[in-house]
Amino acid sequence: MKELTRRKRLRHFLIALFTVFIFVLPFFVSNNYYLSVLVVIGIHTTVVVGLCLLMGYAGQISLGHAAFYGLGAYTSGILTSTYNISPWLAILAGAMGTGIVAYIMGIPIFRLKEHYLALATLGLGLIIHVVFMEEVELTGGPSGLSKGIPYLAIGNIVFNTDFKYYFLVWTVALLAIILANNVVHSRIGRALRSIHGSEIAAQSLGVDTGKFKLQVFALSAVYASIAGSLYAHYITFISPSPFGLMTSIQFVVMAVVGGLSNIWGPILGVTGVTVLTEGLKSIVPQLIPQAGGEYEIVVFGLILVIIMIFLPEGLTSGVVRLYEEWRYRKERADETS
Amino acid sequence: MRLLEINNLTRSFGGVLAVNDVSFSVDKGQIIAIIGPNGAGKTTLFNLMTGIYPPTHGTIMFKGTEITGLTAYQIARLGIARTFQNLQIFNNMTVLENVMVGRHIKSKTGFLGAIFPVWPVQREEREIVEHSLDKLAMVGLTDQAMQPANSLPYGRQKMLEIARAIALEPELLLLDEPAAGLNSTETRELIDTIYNLRDQGVTILLVEHDMETVMEIADRLVVLNFGNKLAEGTPYEIQNNQEVITAYLGEEGSGC
Repeated sequence: MKELTRRKRLRHFLIALFTVFIFVLPFFVSNNYYLSVLVVIGIHTTVVVGLCLLMGYAGQISLGHAAFYGLGAYTSGILTSTYNISPWLAILAGAMGTGIVAYIMGIPIFRLKEHYLALATLGLGLIIHVVFMEEVELTGGPSGLSKGIPYLAIGNIVFNTDFKYYFLVWTVALLAIILANNVVHSRIGRALRSIHGSEIAAQSLGVDTGKFKLQVFALSAVYASIAGSLYAHYITFISPSPFGLMTSIQFVVMAVVGGLSNIWGPILGVTGVTVLTEGLKSIVPQLIPQAGGEYEIVVFGLILVIIMIFLPEGLTSGVVRLYEEWRYRKERADETS
Repeated sequence: MRLLEINNLTRSFGGVLAVNDVSFSVDKGQIIAIIGPNGAGKTTLFNLMTGIYPPTHGTIMFKGTEITGLTAYQIARLGIARTFQNLQIFNNMTVLENVMVGRHIKSKTGFLGAIFPVWPVQREEREIVEHSLDKLAMVGLTDQAMQPANSLPYGRQKMLEIARAIALEPELLLLDEPAAGLNSTETRELIDTIYNLRDQGVTILLVEHDMETVMEIADRLVVLNFGNKLAEGTPYEIQNNQEVITAYLGEEGSGC
């Protein structure tokens, strides 16, 4: 019992420490470009936290999460620009709508396992992307929503600069992390992890594995949707291109790089991959002037392969494991001496 | 009191009859062993009883209600727990967390409660921990509670599976080869645990190859051979049953 309380306190302390760090950081970043990268990292972190609940804890996969990200963005974009609905209400509508879509689509999809599940989610993502492209009257088609999407505002504070938006985005991202952390260390979190550990054993202990897979899929879609809404109100213009397969793969790579079953994994994974891609954007054109955008997928592929070979649990859990093994060995040594 | 009644249970896998027209019943408070040579259909029988797959024919009654065709998690909720022949430990959790999953059906926190752990949720969580620690104490794993489950040696992992199964307070506990791979000290502990559980009112049905253990603890035995029920009776009756001896030792059997 004491050990449990100690571990819980440590987690809460780390989260508090990180919160302070996050809210102090922008005061030391004067460059607007760096600030905008940090905003994007915050938005992507929210998506990847949800994805890690699905992949790392429940052991399922989704290669279609950019579609849910897009559903949030388009719901916000369309409701606010075309129908003049309050942005906050639109975010809520997007989150609920996306959650319901994910749950219903999940019913047939989650009858499948492993590779087949990956393919089905990939297909789902492609279908939703096609809807963004083809429903021209609603979405503006490939050229995007023509009317501007308004900035978010609370009372007189309009979130129209990177500096202000940073605080909004990271408040959401931190909430996403804290709430996900609560889920992980609960009856539900254990049920999810038991599915990953052994589905047959989970069922024989009374865990309705099918129901939990659907619920966590819907929850992760809600996370993606909220992040998508924040993206729409940040860029204030949306087109289908950021919500395609490439983005879905990027989310999965971020999740895997950071480590799937650790609450710090998403932040580390998103930061690592984003810094790398942004770095490549400035370096690659200098080295190979005729290179297009496609080199990104080569880099993602390489990262994925290297991580899977050398640190299959991802950066965070890999480091945590090494630390725990070291501590365990030290305790053993202390006991015997 | 009749706890479990198996009637004409049959299961075929692509023309192979893994279990063929097997009937027997289990009374409350008994320790029943299912024995038989490899491939006799013992594990298939367990899988049918716990809803891993449905039978081709026949019915299973538990406490007077038919449970044939129910899913695994529904059967668990009615009070039937099991362990597995090939360990199914949750390797991604600690020893304690493994047992805590066993409290799943005895607790009720949902997604909303998990996201916002208000006071009643925290109280339930404490109850789950205390109860799980009790079960770990029963199988002698208290000191290993916070270790990763896969760091336990094989024999301890088997005891962990038992602790996890009894955490859901089953009326019927199915143990699939609990003594396989255990050394003699561990087997002794296992037998003590089984008696202990029986004394607490848990009915136990086990599949086991270790004849010495089986003959010692079982009140009654059911012998399977090639999916058919060969015999049923007390350990004494089974040991002197000519058909059983033939099945185990061949035509010219002359004692073990």
